[in-house]
Amino acid sequence: MNRLLPSLAALAAAALLLTGCTAGESASSSTTPVKGGTLVYASGDAEPTCLDPHVGGNYPQALVATQYLESLVSKDKGGKIIPWLATKWTEAADGLSWDFTLKKGVKFTDGSPLTSEAVVANVAHLQDPKTASSTGYLALQKVTKVTAIDDLTARISLSSPDSALLDSLSQTWLAIESPTALKRNQAVNCESPVGTGPFVVKKWNHQQSIQLTRNNSYTSPPADAAHSGPAYLKAIEWRFLPDSASRYAAVQSGTVDVIDNVQPDTIVAAEKQKNLVAVDAPRPGASNRIELNSSIAPFDDEKVREAFIRSADVSGAISSLFFDTTKRSYSPLSSIEKDGYSEPKLFDYDQKAAAKLLDEAGWTQKNAEGYRVKDGKVLELDFPVSTNQSIPAEQSLFEQLQATSKQAGFKVNLHPQDLASWYGALGKNQYNLVSAPYTKVGPDVLRILFDSAGTKPAPSGYFANHAQITDPALDALLEDAAASSDAAERSADYEKAQKIVLEGYYILPLYDQQNHYLLSTKVKGFRAMPTVSTPALYDAWLSR
Amino acid sequence: MRGRPTVIVCLAILLVIAIAAIAPNLLAPGNPLAIHPSASFLPPSLGHPFGTDESGRDVYTRIIHGAGASVLIGITATAIGLGLAIVFGLLAGLGPRWLDFGTTRFLEVLFAFPGLLFALLFIVIYGPGVLTSTIAVGLATAPGYSRIIRSRVLVVKRAPYLEASLVLGRSRFFRVTRHLVPNVAGSLFVLATLGIGQSIVWASSLSYLGLGAVPPAAEWGAMLSAGRTYISSFWWLTFFPGLFIVLTAAATTLLGRGLQERVRS
Amino acid sequence: MALPLGATATPATADSVRRRSWLRWALARLAGVAFVLWAVATVTFFAIRLIPGDPAEAILGGPGSQASKEALAQARSDYGLDLPLGIQYLQYLGRLATGDLGTSYSLRSPVTTVIGQNLGPTLLLALSSLALAVVLALLLALWSSRSGRIASAVGSVLEIIASAVPHFWLAIALILMFSTALGWLPPVSVPGAAGLVLPALTLAVPLAGFLGQVMRESLLDALASPFVLAARARGEGESGVFWRHALRHAAIPAIGLAGWAFGSLISGAVVVETIFARPGIGRSLLSAVQDRDVPLVLGVVLVVAVGYMIVTTLTDLADRFVDPRLRARS
Repeated sequence: MNRLLPSLAALAAAALLLTGCTAGESASSSTTPVKGGTLVYASGDAEPTCLDPHVGGNYPQALVATQYLESLVSKDKGGKIIPWLATKWTEAADGLSWDFTLKKGVKFTDGSPLTSEAVVANVAHLQDPKTASSTGYLALQKVTKVTAIDDLTARISLSSPDSALLDSLSQTWLAIESPTALKRNQAVNCESPVGTGPFVVKKWNHQQSIQLTRNNSYTSPPADAAHSGPAYLKAIEWRFLPDSASRYAAVQSGTVDVIDNVQPDTIVAAEKQKNLVAVDAPRPGASNRIELNSSIAPFDDEKVREAFIRSADVSGAISSLFFDTTKRSYSPLSSIEKDGYSEPKLFDYDQKAAAKLLDEAGWTQKNAEGYRVKDGKVLELDFPVSTNQSIPAEQSLFEQLQATSKQAGFKVNLHPQDLASWYGALGKNQYNLVSAPYTKVGPDVLRILFDSAGTKPAPSGYFANHAQITDPALDALLEDAAASSDAAERSADYEKAQKIVLEGYYILPLYDQQNHYLLSTKVKGFRAMPTVSTPALYDAWLSR
Repeated sequence: MRGRPTVIVCLAILLVIAIAAIAPNLLAPGNPLAIHPSASFLPPSLGHPFGTDESGRDVYTRIIHGAGASVLIGITATAIGLGLAIVFGLLAGLGPRWLDFGTTRFLEVLFAFPGLLFALLFIVIYGPGVLTSTIAVGLATAPGYSRIIRSRVLVVKRAPYLEASLVLGRSRFFRVTRHLVPNVAGSLFVLATLGIGQSIVWASSLSYLGLGAVPPAAEWGAMLSAGRTYISSFWWLTFFPGLFIVLTAAATTLLGRGLQERVRS
Repeated sequence: MALPLGATATPATADSVRRRSWLRWALARLAGVAFVLWAVATVTFFAIRLIPGDPAEAILGGPGSQASKEALAQARSDYGLDLPLGIQYLQYLGRLATGDLGTSYSLRSPVTTVIGQNLGPTLLLALSSLALAVVLALLLALWSSRSGRIASAVGSVLEIIASAVPHFWLAIALILMFSTALGWLPPVSVPGAAGLVLPALTLAVPLAGFLGQVMRESLLDALASPFVLAARARGEGESGVFWRHALRHAAIPAIGLAGWAFGSLISGAVVVETIFARPGIGRSLLSAVQDRDVPLVLGVVLVVAVGYMIVTTLTDLADRFVDPRLRARS
């Protein structure tokens, strides 16, 4: 808006803006927080079908459930596991059980106390087939039973040591809900799950908004929270705005206070706006990468895989399409994972090397259109693209890669599809290239994505190992790391594992899973959870 | 708008678009698919009269080369729609009562599906792409045209010149071909010419929903939909495809009107 | 009192004849409506089965839900998906007859509830847009028919441009103009009338363009026709001529378009409700198709079909009143 600001206010705004653009946090709350007010949050992600993240377990659920549900442990910005609902945790000597000591005096918002029975009930709920949990269920696959040792101590028994247990328990999808509430009919529990969080679900107007109100008896912030006691905000209105252009217009005009899924060009435009602040919080787990299906031709030949990767100009695409709002990734893991390993040299854009590799692989002839031919077959690649998961800039990036790999002689067919059709194409193994995000806390995501067990489909047809790597040495490293309690040994294993994946040219890493928030400068104390990078509005307040 | 100047202007515009559709290299010798990531999002200038898009492709070149695909979608979808409509409309208007009843009910069933839903279901079943979205749009618009044709047929049936023709002893075939069809066709013109522009717009809506033309095809609707994300920062990405869609629709409509005038007089 | 010789039916008998013909017409109409609804339900039921993918997955939270084999089997038997298709169809028809539209897979609540919550806002949007479109078209027609050939030309061009503008583009252009630049209106839906303006305008403009063009033809015809000439000769002013004679004639084709306009508004609502984040059945339909939520798709299609039937019946009635020529057919 064209208003002239007094130069002092302009300087102050500029200072706020500068301090505001740090990863994970908004402007420092150097002034006193104001109690009260309703914050309007508009999400660009799909509306969840169930507000209980035990059911299914996707990112839209985590976004909103962070406000009313809490987990046993959390993580701080440095990546260390810190206390939350559990104050202490000890691993048995044989690694086959963990004892968690719960915080005293915590109550669920329906009045029932947080005891070890709650942990028992929650794990049972996650493992019950009737709940239809995916994320939580997978994370607890090694858990055999949970026993309540005493009122505040729960023992989780495992079939084999699990180094990823704490990471898994820090995620919103394994949050602790009230056992009394869990006994209710699932449809009822989906409408308003009961937890220990700083806010409570008051009402869910389907396809309009979710009304959250402050939990005035709140006593359990995670160890890295900025204050204690109840939240500052009186209420939160959680809306769903699927269109990116109108979503940006909404935060620009002040109709909403915070938005997510911010497109790269609006991040840049927002920098010029005095009333907006950007927060960059990449999601944990894997980076955004393109996986090459090594189980079918032509990518069953490593030379062809390398040739494709050499012929893809990713960095050029990123700077033109993303306006340098994100950095190039050379790792299978997100940049917020401490055990991430990168090898940039493997991914240099080199058309000459690509041409040489394809010649060596036998693809020496070219047809009239310039595509390589061998034994009468064209070097053709099918690339199903999910329009729900790939933002327009990413889809354009794939188009650019299609153009640069054409120079080497690859014929890339892009197939933009809706989510259901995309899963169908993956399930039928009808793809050579695919980009599928995977969000999980901790490096154990490597096991999910690259262990050969991941090539076996679930009953629904879905499988996670899209590169279809079946390498016994890799499997051994990943399983070893999953069972090891020695952090140094784990890091070494994960590094070796990532080397195998990168040097086999099974994946083309692009960038972190993009997760940008745009806030009105009225919003203070906003931060993204260091665990799953969802917005934590507990410390947030609205300045007048 | 009446008068020869209008018709001439429309013809000129349509001629340019036709050349663009058939021989794009005459008007735009460049490659519509050539990317230049370092030259992305450039505003209109001498070197790039319509600017460049997100991959540095020249928008002017893409619009000229996209004319063929877009116009083809418009013409084909309209042809499918009108073709079916003429069959149904004549059946309903000219046939015996029971045929009219049956056909009208059939049309009502088709018509009861909102056009977009019809297109959505069709594309979800048969996959996205230019072909399926063209067929989907054609099928979705057919019932609408049929209804209009049917009412027109019913009105014309009662016209004095038709009665006069009957009195004069002309055969049924003569009455239908010399009097009925031209008079019905007259009102069809406005619909058809309007329909071409509408079909292109429809197909672009399907692209917006992720169900239309496959990248990197230069098709006006797909370009309009893709550029929409950047509308607040880079206006030229939507302005020029939109302009050409409107120009084509306007030119065909006005031309149709002009021709209708001449047929009438 | 004895009837005079040669007299035909008394007024009372003529009345009952007319009533009987109306009754016959109404019954025929009702039979037609029932047939159409049955046909729509059947076509949609089988068409959705053609969509690739497993409905049991859709029930368990969408595609790629990684559900376990037991959960999928459970879902299939709960929803009767393991029965032969013919039996499922008959069960479906049976439930329809009792007004039970089933339970939505993705929203887990009865379809009737979902539609009930969403139908109101969409109808409100559709009616407001229709009213706005009619007003816009009439104003433009009135102005351009009275102000000479240049105005007529300008009006014509405006209508053509309006009808060629896609909803998804117009929506964001209006948001940029009225919300971002001027700050007069909210960019997304908010409770109250202010949140209705931009969505209604987005749907109204293309419709007004189309309606205007159709009416323009007939209007010009009418203004040059004998009965208008006669009216002018009788000394009636231009307004009287317009409103009492020409408009009625011009309305005929426009009324015939009402059914089409209804369908077009519902189609447009899909895009407009998504962009402005307004609740409504258009948005529900889009997500239902994407989630493969069969009961919800069927439910919305049927409700829209019913609505369309109502609109066309009303327009047929209106047609009979406005255009005496059509009464002759029965």
